[in-house]
Amino acid sequence: MALASPQIKAVCVEANEFPHYSNQFRVRGVPHTVINRKASFVGALPEHDFVAAVLEGAGIAVEEPHEAPSGPSTEISA
Amino acid sequence: MALIPESVRQQLEDRFHTVLSGPVRLTLYTRPGSSRLILPAGLGCPTCEDARQMAELLRDAAPEKITLDVVDVSRDAARAEIDEITDVPTIAVASGSDIGRIRFQGLPTGTEFPALIDAVERASRVEHGLSLESVEALAKLTEPTELLVFATPT
Repeated sequence: MALASPQIKAVCVEANEFPHYSNQFRVRGVPHTVINRKASFVGALPEHDFVAAVLEGAGIAVEEPHEAPSGPSTEISA
Repeated sequence: MALIPESVRQQLEDRFHTVLSGPVRLTLYTRPGSSRLILPAGLGCPTCEDARQMAELLRDAAPEKITLDVVDVSRDAARAEIDEITDVPTIAVASGSDIGRIRFQGLPTGTEFPALIDAVERASRVEHGLSLESVEALAKLTEPTELLVFATPT
């Protein structure tokens, strides 16, 4: 992502080696991503959601997420 | 004992020979000579020596493409401040003349080692791998944005 935007600096932090950081950002599981030391999310998100989370964390309004695909319904049609 | 086995060195050399295209600049920020000392938290650097070996391994696998700059933050605090380095060891990966905005803070072993290799290869090929939609969305970023991704070796 840092190669795609000149504004982004991406730092992979070894969580065990820097416990003061891990505590500061309340890291309980990995991967744990912190954006501008404010917003955060845990886990590996799909690309679209990752980008949306970064923009949102940077204070940029993002479009509504894609409509969820319709799955099996428990409703019984007449 | 070597940190990286000879077989891995050879594999890396062969892989870089076929995969790398453009120049890659690595910068290792370190505090040499403190790996054997027990110092208060934040002062010592138990993994700096291993990080140096790892950075040199990468450079030696493709010395015609990869350059390595070593910055001793205890001697060159000004450089560390300019580059916004707060902790060591940190390995920064840069594409060509770009500043190193892909960084690995701490020793990237285990599952982080392939991520480091991937970063070197992508920087060399200037290949982010994102969709056009994502690139267009990221173009909305007008201010410097920092991503800290916490990971563990296992």
